[in-house]
Amino acid sequence: MMAPFYKYGLFGDEVSLILAALIGVGFGFFLEQAGFGSSKKLVAQFYLTDMAVFKVMFSAIVTAMLGLFYLSWAGLLDFSLVYVSPTFFWPDLVGGLVLGAGFIVGGFCPGTSVVGTATGRLDGLAFMGGVFGGIFVYGELYPWLADFANSTAMGRVTIDSWLGVSKGLVVFAVVVLAVLGFWGASAVERMMARREVEAGT
Amino acid sequence: MNPYLAGVGLGLVLLLAYVLVGRGLGASGAFSAVVAVIVNAVAPAHAQSNEFYRGYLENGFGSPFKSFLVFEVLGVAVGGFLSGALSGRLKRTVERGPRMSAPGRIVLAILGGALMGFGAKLARGCTSGQGLSGGAVLDLGSWTFMIMVFAAGYAGAYFLRREWR
Amino acid sequence: MNRADPRNWGIDQKLAFLALVLGFLALLGSPSPGGAVTINTRELADIVESEVDHVTVEELADWIIQGRSDYRLLDVRDPKSYAAYHIPTAESVELRNLSDYPLYRNEKIVLYSGGGIHSAQAWFLLRAEGFAGSYILLGGLNAWKEDILFPELPADATPDEVASFARRRTVSEFFGGKPRTGTGGTAGAAQPSEVAMPKVAPPSPVVAPHRHAHHHKEGC
Repeated sequence: MMAPFYKYGLFGDEVSLILAALIGVGFGFFLEQAGFGSSKKLVAQFYLTDMAVFKVMFSAIVTAMLGLFYLSWAGLLDFSLVYVSPTFFWPDLVGGLVLGAGFIVGGFCPGTSVVGTATGRLDGLAFMGGVFGGIFVYGELYPWLADFANSTAMGRVTIDSWLGVSKGLVVFAVVVLAVLGFWGASAVERMMARREVEAGT
Repeated sequence: MNPYLAGVGLGLVLLLAYVLVGRGLGASGAFSAVVAVIVNAVAPAHAQSNEFYRGYLENGFGSPFKSFLVFEVLGVAVGGFLSGALSGRLKRTVERGPRMSAPGRIVLAILGGALMGFGAKLARGCTSGQGLSGGAVLDLGSWTFMIMVFAAGYAGAYFLRREWR
Repeated sequence: MNRADPRNWGIDQKLAFLALVLGFLALLGSPSPGGAVTINTRELADIVESEVDHVTVEELADWIIQGRSDYRLLDVRDPKSYAAYHIPTAESVELRNLSDYPLYRNEKIVLYSGGGIHSAQAWFLLRAEGFAGSYILLGGLNAWKEDILFPELPADATPDEVASFARRRTVSEFFGGKPRTGTGGTAGAAQPSEVAMPKVAPPSPVVAPHRHAHHHKEGC
């Protein structure tokens, strides 16, 4: 039997829910450890003073990506059973823009707003309320949005299959881009810090 | 914590989710389940005739709350609290920039949350689901999504500077 | 301090180096098996001998009537035959497409063909690829026609057989078939192959080939 163990019937639905909670605890723990309970810290990304969002997100992606790749290569994980969400190109793109706007206006994303609320941030709580509202609006408008929301379906497509290259190549490229990005992000942070000092703030 | 270490920790949790259950992390789905349940309680016929709500009401488990994401998000709250408590970062406050008032910040938080909720449903995920999880499996839609999130954030930063700087 | 000297690297530099090494090694790897499999012939022989490799047409008919969604039914004949008639809830998959077809290793997969040869071959292919939940429909479409669509009640049936035939008649009609009552010989009763096959209008809501329609939502 390989991973994912749930898909091989190693344990049932009830256990998977308990695991979900435990995994969530780990998720919330590290989000808070990264300082993402604070909307100010999250938003600093977009003012170039603190690039933690970029650093945390992409080191998480690289870690999990490498883990999945190597486990799959070693025959310990069946990648065909791993959930890849279907790509709907335009809805994904537009949704991303709207979400980004929500991020800079509200200062959180759904996951971090839960962490913020759990650590006492009232703006986090307000944000969560807003999320419910936004989902409700979407649900009510869904009959009119459905056509767009289901358009440009490309199925479950990964970057390697879309480009027609090997997965290893994409993994390598992502790692290189991430490391370059981290180096660049730190350089930007230092530059902004110097500016603040020079401006006398 | 060093952001890279926090990121690696997060990545390992994400990897664990994939190894154990075959799916990644997420957050917005749990919020959707709550909305669907409330709408269904207030106006069942309306909820069940709406394809969007229906998707969250029927999930093969019986109750819409018996879903992976709902349990996961509850865990997120606990984990966040634990980490904050251990690190001394628990603080009852309204975070905002020096030029912003607390009530104004609250209003913008609600507005931002609404935008985020709407966008997350359109993109079928948020930064945790589409971003982290989709990113790790090299999902094309997820990477497109993430690039757009950052683009919009940077584009909006100038207009929202009063809120944060 | 000379940052380029590895001895002076902080945790950040070490992580970056590790990531680059792993990323570079990834160029050499290919995660998908690409068609090569390992087979345990003894294990497979045991399965066949203990007869846990098949599902009967009666069982399948029951599952369909109950509207169960915990199985996948695959018709491995050519698409034309599938279009002419197929068992309700069946999906059309030719043998050569079987390896690429989206199936999960923890699903119950029932294979059928006209008789049993192609479905048996498909069963072997799936088992070899690790699909432990694959089964052959015993007797294939022929048995389906004989026992489910056109069950026969011989003229000299015992009262017990008459009683159980009532149930088989209901099942047959559910699938649009025609029960036959014999006259004692094969001369009078219409043979299954001569009776028109029922139209393929599924009697109950068709299980969408995509399992997610009935199973846990896996999105965000």
